[in-house]
Amino acid sequence: MNSAILSCTGLDKPEGSVAREVAIRMASSADSEIICPVLLNRSLARYKKSLAENTLIAVDGCSTRCASKLAEGLGIKIDRKVLISDVLKSSAVTLEPSLNLGPNGLGLAQAVVDDLVQSLNAPSEPIPSAAPSGAFPPPTEHLMVTHDKFEFRIPATDYMFNENDVWVRVVDGVAHVGISDYMQQSLTDINYFDATKTDTDVDQFGELGSLESAKAVFEIIAPASGTVVAVNAETVANPGLINEDPYGRGWLVEMKLSNWPEDRALLLKPEAYAKTVKHKAEEA
Amino acid sequence: MSEATFMGVPRDKISWHPTIDYEKCNFCMECATFCPHRVFEQREGDRRLVVANPNNCVVLCRACSKTCGPDALTFPDKQSTIAEIKQIREQESVQ
Ligand code: SF4
Ligand code: SF4
Repeated sequence: MNSAILSCTGLDKPEGSVAREVAIRMASSADSEIICPVLLNRSLARYKKSLAENTLIAVDGCSTRCASKLAEGLGIKIDRKVLISDVLKSSAVTLEPSLNLGPNGLGLAQAVVDDLVQSLNAPSEPIPSAAPSGAFPPPTEHLMVTHDKFEFRIPATDYMFNENDVWVRVVDGVAHVGISDYMQQSLTDINYFDATKTDTDVDQFGELGSLESAKAVFEIIAPASGTVVAVNAETVANPGLINEDPYGRGWLVEMKLSNWPEDRALLLKPEAYAKTVKHKAEEA
Repeated sequence: MSEATFMGVPRDKISWHPTIDYEKCNFCMECATFCPHRVFEQREGDRRLVVANPNNCVVLCRACSKTCGPDALTFPDKQSTIAEIKQIREQESVQ
């Protein structure tokens, strides 16, 4: 599928200039159509056709995420996101302190372009290292925590939680991971799931990717250590599932746990997590 | 047992909260508007934003830093914080 690329204007800081450069280079080397953010904001109709037909890549310079937020505000679905300030942190590059990019900035832009081109050409999902066990029956019994007009459900059995609102369900040696009903409601409509790649090893409390809503970016903190064996392709394609069914079809990743007997000692059982939720809801 | 704990450790024994780099902060207040736990407070004067209630911050959360364009918020190292928590847990269970 062809792509369209929306970057920030790049007129505020060097990271933004890199984002803009990525858009320009994608247009020439990958035949992406550039979506000008200022024009998009004036006239959605101008880009309607292109947005409907292409994979949309949003490139933000910094965490203000002007490009992503503009798209989300207009109800446009983003298929891929790049945050230059994050790319910068995980590289050894120092940007020149100017909106006119120097060799470092231009090199970084090209590296991002190469990466994007490669992933656009790659088959959509990497083959999982183990066959994912896929669907599992949703929980039947719940504990309820109520606060004001809000109700938060917590499955009464099988699920354990970390204090960062991520659950793990370990049944017959298979571990599924997701976020709690409380977190799903706090984030409001989730519109992007940036998943860790399969085959990645993660420590307990390490990162399993992130979720994004109009309100926040949420780091998924691993409830246990192990290897990611599958990512839920359904939630990647339709992150709204996490809001609809956080403990069932909205699961995020499947893991092969490496240290479960020790890790579980640091997790909360449903009753204890219910107290944590109550406390968080009251404090907020 | 004190009221707030994290992984069974009293919250006030864990040092986890954002630190504002005032060289970078432009006082846009995105972080303060975003965080539901009243960690930040707005003040009069030059430093219009302070980390007033560091212990309200959810241990291992870094969400506010992802709203900060100038990248002015920093946190302690996650792995060493976890190691610290595990150490306190061991000490307490020995007693
Ligand atoms: S989001 Fe960043 S720049 Fe804005 S007030 Fe907070 S620390 Fe300062
Ligand atoms: S890290 Fe999370 S809890 Fe702590 S101040 Fe930031 S948003 Fe609030």
